[in-house]
Amino acid sequence: METLGSSECNLGVLETLSDNEIQEVTESYDGFFTTVESLIAGTGDSSVEQEFVSHVYCLCKYGLDSLVRDHFLRSLEQAFEKSGASSFWHHFDAYSEKKHTNYGEEIHEVLCKALEEISIEKKCHEKCLSIVVHALQSFKEQSSDAKQNSDAENVHLLSRFRSMLSSTLMTTLPQHFPEILHWYFKEKLEELSVIMDEDDIRKHESDCMDLDEKLRNKNGEMDVDEGYPQGKYSRHDKLVKNIGKVVRDLRSIGFTSMAENAYASAIFLLLKAKVHDLAGDDYRTSVLGSIKEWIQTVPLQFLNALLSYLGDSISYSTTSSGLTSPLACCPSPSFSRVVTPSEGIVRWKLRLEYFAYETLQDFRIAKLFEIIVDYPESSPAIEDLKQCLEHTGQHSKLVESFISSLKYRLLTAGASTNDILHQYVSTIKALRAIDPAGVFLEAVGEPIRDYIRGRKDTIKCIVTMLTDGSGGNANGSGNPGDSLLEELMRDEESQENVGFDDDFHTDDKQAWINASRWEPDPVEADPLKGSLSQRKVDILGMLVDIIGSKEQLVSEYRVMLAEKLLNKTDYDIDSEIRTVELLKIHFGEASMQRCEIMLNDLIDSKRVNTNIKKASQTGAELGESELSVDTLTSTILSTNFWPPIQDEPLELPGPVDKLLSDYANRYHEIKTPRKLLWKKNLGTVKLELQFEDRPMQFTVSPTHAAIIMQFQEKKSWTATDLATAIGIPIDAFNRRVNFWISKGVLRESTGTDLNANVFTLVESITDSGKNESEELLAGDEESERAIASVEDQLRKEMTIYEKFIMGMLTNFGSMALERIHNTLKMFCVADPSYDKSLQQLQSFLSGLVSEEKLEFRDSMYLVKK
Amino acid sequence: MNSYYVKLLFLYLIVSPGNRWHAVASWTWDAQDETCGICRMAFDGCCPDCKLPGDDCPLIWGACNHAFHLHCILKWVNSQTSQAHCPMCRREWQFKE
Repeated sequence: METLGSSECNLGVLETLSDNEIQEVTESYDGFFTTVESLIAGTGDSSVEQEFVSHVYCLCKYGLDSLVRDHFLRSLEQAFEKSGASSFWHHFDAYSEKKHTNYGEEIHEVLCKALEEISIEKKCHEKCLSIVVHALQSFKEQSSDAKQNSDAENVHLLSRFRSMLSSTLMTTLPQHFPEILHWYFKEKLEELSVIMDEDDIRKHESDCMDLDEKLRNKNGEMDVDEGYPQGKYSRHDKLVKNIGKVVRDLRSIGFTSMAENAYASAIFLLLKAKVHDLAGDDYRTSVLGSIKEWIQTVPLQFLNALLSYLGDSISYSTTSSGLTSPLACCPSPSFSRVVTPSEGIVRWKLRLEYFAYETLQDFRIAKLFEIIVDYPESSPAIEDLKQCLEHTGQHSKLVESFISSLKYRLLTAGASTNDILHQYVSTIKALRAIDPAGVFLEAVGEPIRDYIRGRKDTIKCIVTMLTDGSGGNANGSGNPGDSLLEELMRDEESQENVGFDDDFHTDDKQAWINASRWEPDPVEADPLKGSLSQRKVDILGMLVDIIGSKEQLVSEYRVMLAEKLLNKTDYDIDSEIRTVELLKIHFGEASMQRCEIMLNDLIDSKRVNTNIKKASQTGAELGESELSVDTLTSTILSTNFWPPIQDEPLELPGPVDKLLSDYANRYHEIKTPRKLLWKKNLGTVKLELQFEDRPMQFTVSPTHAAIIMQFQEKKSWTATDLATAIGIPIDAFNRRVNFWISKGVLRESTGTDLNANVFTLVESITDSGKNESEELLAGDEESERAIASVEDQLRKEMTIYEKFIMGMLTNFGSMALERIHNTLKMFCVADPSYDKSLQQLQSFLSGLVSEEKLEFRDSMYLVKK
Repeated sequence: MNSYYVKLLFLYLIVSPGNRWHAVASWTWDAQDETCGICRMAFDGCCPDCKLPGDDCPLIWGACNHAFHLHCILKWVNSQTSQAHCPMCRREWQFKE
C-alpha cells in the first residue's frame, strides 16, 4: 500500500511509529478508502464528508498527504473513465458510420446534451476535489503553514485533475468526433450568416444606420461591436450564446484546441464559399471590398461575440485571471456595448483577410486567361488580383499558372495569329496594371513571343493591328476606328505627362521624395534584364521586338499602305496620314520617308486631276464615241518610292485608250517635261451593264472591264482571240474570265481544244434572285495582288546571294544559320552589300529547303544531294 | 438575233459621278537617262537635299541637252568661280531655253 506513494511521501516516518500509531494510520487509511468511494459515487452525505475529512487529517498528520492526493485523483480518474467518458462517447456512437455531410438536425441536441451531462459530471467531481482541497488546506492552516503554499497546492491539484480529465477523453476519442464538431460549427455558422444577411438587408433600409457605420469605418474603428437595437439581434444573440456554450463546455473538458480548429475550419470554409460566391465569373465588378465587408459583418462579429462570451466564461471557470489577456473583451452579456477590439479579434481579422486574399487570388489566377481575354472590362478583377498579390506575394504562382494556360489554350495551331496578338496586348496591359515593373510580364511574354515568331503572318498581323482601325479595336476601349497605335499614343501621352511633371519639379525636396519612393526590384526579377528604371513597359516596343526590327515593320507597312492607296478612288487619305504621322513619332522621320512620298503622290494626284479636268472643260467638243474626261480619275505614282508594282500588259478598248492618252497629254502640257506612263492593269472600274430589263453594276479591275467591253463589238469570242485582243497571256485571261462566268454574264461552251473555248454573252440573266446592283471588287484572287508581298521582294533580293550560299555550303559541308549570316556579312560588302537580318536569311533558307535545294538537319544547313 | 443586237448596243460605260474609270499611272522626267550625273540619284527620285520628288525637285536641261537635278546643277554652277561648265561634257553651261 505504502509503496504507492510518490517520492514526496516520506515513508521513513512509518518505521519510527509505535504500534498504536500504526493502528491509527491503518484504520484511517481504510476509512479514507471507503469514504472516497462513496464520495465519488455521490452517495455520501455530510456525515461521510466529515468522516472523510477526519481521515484526511489523520493521514496528513503522519505526512501522507501526497498519498491522499494521488489516491483521490486516481479514484476520480477510474470513476470518470467508467461513467463519464464512456457515456459521453456513447452519445455519438450512432453517428460513427455516417458520412460527415449528413448528420442531421438532432446532432445539435445530442452534442448539447452530451456536453451538459459531462460538465455536470465534471462539476460533481470538482466538488469532491474541492472537499479534499478544503480538508488539506484547513489541516495546513492548523499546522501553521504558509497560506500561499496552499493556494499553489489548490491550483496544482485542479490542473492535474483537468489534464487527467482531458487525457482520459482524448485517449478514448472516437475518430468521427472532430468531424461532428466541424459539421456542427459549419451548420451554425451558415445559419448565422443567413441571419446576418437578413439583417444586412434591413440595415441597408435604414440610411441613418448606414451613415453611422460609415462614420465609424472612417474613424478606423471596427464596427463589429456596434450597438444594435436589442430586438434585431436577439436571434443572433441566442445562436451565438448557444455556440458559445458548446465551445465553453468543450473547453472545460479540455478540447480547447479541437473546438478552435473546428470553428476555425468552419469559418474558413464559409469564407471560401462566400468568396467563390461573390467572385463568380463576373469580372466587371470589384469583389474585394464586399468580401472584406462580409468578413467584418459575419465571421468577425460572430467571433467577437463568441470570444467575449467565452471571455467571461473563462474568468468564471478558472480561478486564475491571468489566462485571459488584459485586452480581452470585458464581460458583456447583452452584447450591446461598444467594446474596443481585443487582440484576439485583431489577429482573427488578419487571419481571415489573408485567407480571403489567398482564396480570391487563387480563384482569379485560375481564371486569369478569361479575365485577360476581356481585359478592359475586367479591370476591376485585375485590380482585385493586384491587391491580393500585394498581400500574399505569390506572384510566381500567377506566372506559372498563366503560362501553362497560355500554352494550353492560346499557343496552339488552332488560334489565329490575330487572336494571339490581341491576347498578348491585353496581357501586357493587364499585367502592367498588376506589376508596373514588368518583371512578371517578362516571364509571361516570353513563351508568347517565342511562339508567335514562328508564324508566317505575324508581321502582317501586327502591322494590320497597329495601323488598321477596325483591326486594333476588336476588344476596344476608345472610339471605334481608332487603331491600336492611336490608343498607345494616348496612353503614352498621359504617362509622359506624369513623367514630365516629375522631371519638372526636381528640386531637392522632390528628389528626396523620389528617392524615398524607390522600391527594390521584386525578387523574381532577372538581373540580366536591367533594372526597374530601364524596364519601362512599352507595348509598341514589345510588338516590334517580336518582329525583330523596326525596318521590317516599316517595310511591311509600306506594302500594306501601297495596296491600300492603290485601291483608293476618292483620294481620301486622312486616316493614313494620321497613322504615318504616328509611326513617324515612333520610328523616326527617315524611315517613314517613302511612306510620306506615297501619301504625297496621292495628294498631288488629286490636284493634278482637278487641274486636268479644268483645262479640258475649255477644250474641244467631244466626238461621239469619245468618253468625257470626267469619267477618268487617276493616281500618279513616284515609282521609285513605291514597293515594286506588278506590271502586266493590257490592251484597253479604243475609247478608253484614247481617254487615257488624252489625259496623259494634258498632264504633259501642265507638267512639262514630265510624262505619264500608264499602268493599265491597275486601278478600279465601276461599270454598269445594261440588260433588257435592268442594269447591273460592277466594280472590277481594268482587265475585267477590258474583257467585257470586247463584247460590245462581237457577241461571242474564242478564248485565244479575246486574249490576243486585250493583249494578255492566255492563262491569265482564263483566270480573269471566270469572274464574268461566275456572275452569269458570260457563258462558256467547250470548243475543239482548251484554248478554243467560246464565250458568249448571256441573253438574259436567269437567276432573278440577284439584285440589280452587284458590288464586287474582283481582285481577291491571290495572284492578283498589285503589290509584290514582302516575302516576294525578299526572295527577289536574296536570289543574288543564293549562289554564294550554295557555294559556301558545297565547300564547308554543313553550316549553322548564324555562321552563314556572318560569312555573308563578311564577304558580301561590295555592291550589293548584304544587309539582311538573321530572320530574313532564315526565311529565305527555309524557302530553299522547301524547294529541295538545301537540307536542314540538326540546325545545320547542307546541300541536298 | 435581233434582240441580241439591242442588248449589245446597250452595253456601255455609263458616265455618271459614281461610275468611273480610276486608272493608275506613274510619272517620269523624260530625260533619256536614269540618274543625275552629279548626285548619281535617279532622276525620278530626288536630289540628296530634297525630300519629295517631282515638283519640289525638278530637272533642268542645259544647252548641251544634259539633264541634272536643278538643285545639283545650281550648286555646281555657284561653286564655280569663273564660267561653269557642264559636268558631263565640259561645255559651257547654259540653261536650255
